[in-house]
Amino acid sequence: MDMSLYRDLFVSESRSHLSAFSELIVHLEESPNDSAAIDELFRHAHSMKGMAATMGYDQIVGIAHTMEDLLGRIRSGEFRLSPALTDLLLAGSDALARLVSGIESGSDVLEDTTALIERLAAFDPSDKAHANLDPNLPLQVADNTPETPVVTHQFRRTDSFKSIRIKTETLDHLVNITGELITNRYRLAESIRQADATECREPLHQLTALLRDLRDEVFKARMLPFSFISERFPRLVRDLARKQGKEVHFQLEGKEIELDRGILEEITEPIVHILRNAVDHGLETADERVMAGKPFGSTITLTVCRDKDHVEIIINDDGRGMDPESLKLKAVEKGLISSGQARQMTQEEAYQLICKPGFSTAAAVTDISGRGVGMDAVREAVHELAGVLTIKSQSGMGSCFVMRLPITISIIHALIVQCGPFEIAFPLTVVKRTLELKRSEIREESGVSTIIMGDQQLRLRSLRQALHLTESSKEDNALLPVVVCDVGGILLAFSADHISGQQEIFVRPLRSPLSHLRGFSGATVTGDGRVLFVADASALA
Amino acid sequence: MSRTVMIVDDSLFMRKILRGILVEKGYIVVAEAASGIEAMKNLHASHPDIIMLDIILPDSNGLDLLESIITVCPDSKIVVCSSIGQAQVIQKSLDLGAKAFIQKPFTPEKVSEVLENLEY
Repeated sequence: MDMSLYRDLFVSESRSHLSAFSELIVHLEESPNDSAAIDELFRHAHSMKGMAATMGYDQIVGIAHTMEDLLGRIRSGEFRLSPALTDLLLAGSDALARLVSGIESGSDVLEDTTALIERLAAFDPSDKAHANLDPNLPLQVADNTPETPVVTHQFRRTDSFKSIRIKTETLDHLVNITGELITNRYRLAESIRQADATECREPLHQLTALLRDLRDEVFKARMLPFSFISERFPRLVRDLARKQGKEVHFQLEGKEIELDRGILEEITEPIVHILRNAVDHGLETADERVMAGKPFGSTITLTVCRDKDHVEIIINDDGRGMDPESLKLKAVEKGLISSGQARQMTQEEAYQLICKPGFSTAAAVTDISGRGVGMDAVREAVHELAGVLTIKSQSGMGSCFVMRLPITISIIHALIVQCGPFEIAFPLTVVKRTLELKRSEIREESGVSTIIMGDQQLRLRSLRQALHLTESSKEDNALLPVVVCDVGGILLAFSADHISGQQEIFVRPLRSPLSHLRGFSGATVTGDGRVLFVADASALA
Repeated sequence: MSRTVMIVDDSLFMRKILRGILVEKGYIVVAEAASGIEAMKNLHASHPDIIMLDIILPDSNGLDLLESIITVCPDSKIVVCSSIGQAQVIQKSLDLGAKAFIQKPFTPEKVSEVLENLEY
C-alpha cells in the first residue's frame, strides 16, 4: 500500500491536533480542574500517536506516547498540571510541529528527539528543578487555588464526511468570476436601459437575483470561523507574558464568528502585533500594578462581534493606557507634527499618532516589539481591507483597539462620487453621511476650509485639490456635495463635484506603478468599462 | 458477494487509510462516520455487514456506542479498533459483543486477516 498518498492528510490532520493541543494546554493552566479538557488533550496525543504509527513516523510516536503517558497520569490524579509541566508539554507539541513540517517538506533527516523524549519520560512533579523555571513568576497556580468548578468544555468539530477540500486558488478564482459577472450585469443593465428594451427587464431581474445568490454562496464557501486563526493567540500571549514576567489572563470571545478567508489571512499579523504591543508595552509589571492599586494579574480580551455586514475585532487591555498629551509631545519632538497641529488635535487623533511611521511609545525596544510590523503597518493593513482602526485609551486604565472590517473581501458597497474626469468610490464602511452645502456655509481661514456639522467643526478637503485638478467654476449659489467619512473616530470631510449614488463594486488591488498612488487602495471597472478608484479616506486627507 | 463495511473513526486520516485497505481487499465501504451520533444516523440507512469502530471518539463513550449499535443492528459484526495499551477496554468490548479487535497501527494484511476470520 502506497502510504505517501496519505501524507498530506496526515500533515493537515496533525496540524489541527497540534493547534487544539496548544490551546487546550494554555486553557488548562488557567482551569486545571477541567477534566473534559484533560481527556481531550489525551485524545489528541493518542490520535497523533496512532496516525504516526500507521505512517511509520517513529519519532512522532515516541514523543506523542510519552506525552500521552504524562497526560494519563494527570488524568488519574497522580499530579496536576504545573507551569513546568505545561512548558514541557508545549515543548513536546512544538517538537511535533517541527517534525510534521519536516515531513511536509519531504525532508529525509528529522531532528533528534531522544533528549526531549527522555525529559518527558523522566518528569518528576516533586523534582525541585522542575518546580518553576522562572523565579520571578508566582508559584504554581494549580497547587494553590481552591477547587474551581469544572468548566464544560466544547469538543472540537471533526471533519464531516459531507465536506470536501478545495484549493484556496479555486475559491479565489470563483470570486473573480463572480465579481466579473456582477460588473457585466451592470453593463448589461445599462445597455438595456439605453435601448429601452422592456422585454429584457424580466430576465435581467432574474439574472440579478441569481447573481446575488451566487455571490452569497461563493462567499459562504470562503468563510472560516475566527478560531481558524485564533487558536495560536492564547499560547502567544502566554509565552510573551511569561517571558516578560507578567501574569496575563487572556480571554477570547466570538471565535465562532465567520469571516472571509482572505480577510483572516491579512488580519492575523496585525492582531499578533497588537497583542504583542499590549503584553510588551501596554501592561504594567505586577509590582507596578499593585502600586497603582490594580489587580495583580492583567487581562487582555479579544472580542469578535458581528454588526450587519461588518465584523469588529476588539482588543482590550487593562494596562497603563496612553496619555494623549504625552503622545502629542512626542510627535512634536520627533517632528511628525507641528505644535500648532498638536493643539488642534482631538484625543482620538492623538491616539492615532502611534500609527504614524517612525512613532514608537516604547522607551526601550525589546526583542518583542522590535519584531514584525509596526502600528503604521497595522493601520495600513486594515485600510487595505476597506476597514477602519479605532484606538481608545484611558490613562492608567488600559487601551482598546477596534478593527472594523467588511465580512467579505473584494466585493463591497461604495458611494460613488464624481470629481472632474475621475470617479471615486468611498467604501460605505467609512462614509458617515453626505451633505449639500452652500458656498456661504464654508468658512475660509488662512487657506483652510472648515464646515459645521451638528456641533462639530470639520476641516473640509477639496477632492479636486487632492487630485491636483483646477477648482471648478460653479456659480456661487450652486450646492456643493460633501462626503463625511469616519475613520477611527476622526471625521474627515471631502467636497466633490457630484455624488452619483451607491453601487456594489468588485475591488481589485492596484499594481505597480498605480500602487504608489497616495489616497487610493484599489480600483474597479464599471459596467460601461470606466475605471473607478477606491478612496482610502485617511490617506486622502 | 462483497461484504459491506461502515468505518467509525473521528480521524479523517484513519478513515481514508482504512477505506484504502478495505477497497483494495474487495470490501464495499457503505458509510463513514466521524462521531457516535453520525454512526447511529448512518447505521439505520446502511445496515453494514461489518463495523470498524474506533473505541475513543470525541462525543461518545465507545463502549456505550458499541451497545447501542448491537441493539440497532444485532447482525452487524463489530471490529473494535484501538491503540496499544488499552487491553481493558478491548476486553470489555469483546464481553459486550464485539467480534474482533485490531490494534493500531494496522497493516493491510492484519486488517484482511481479522475480517476474513469473522464468522457469519
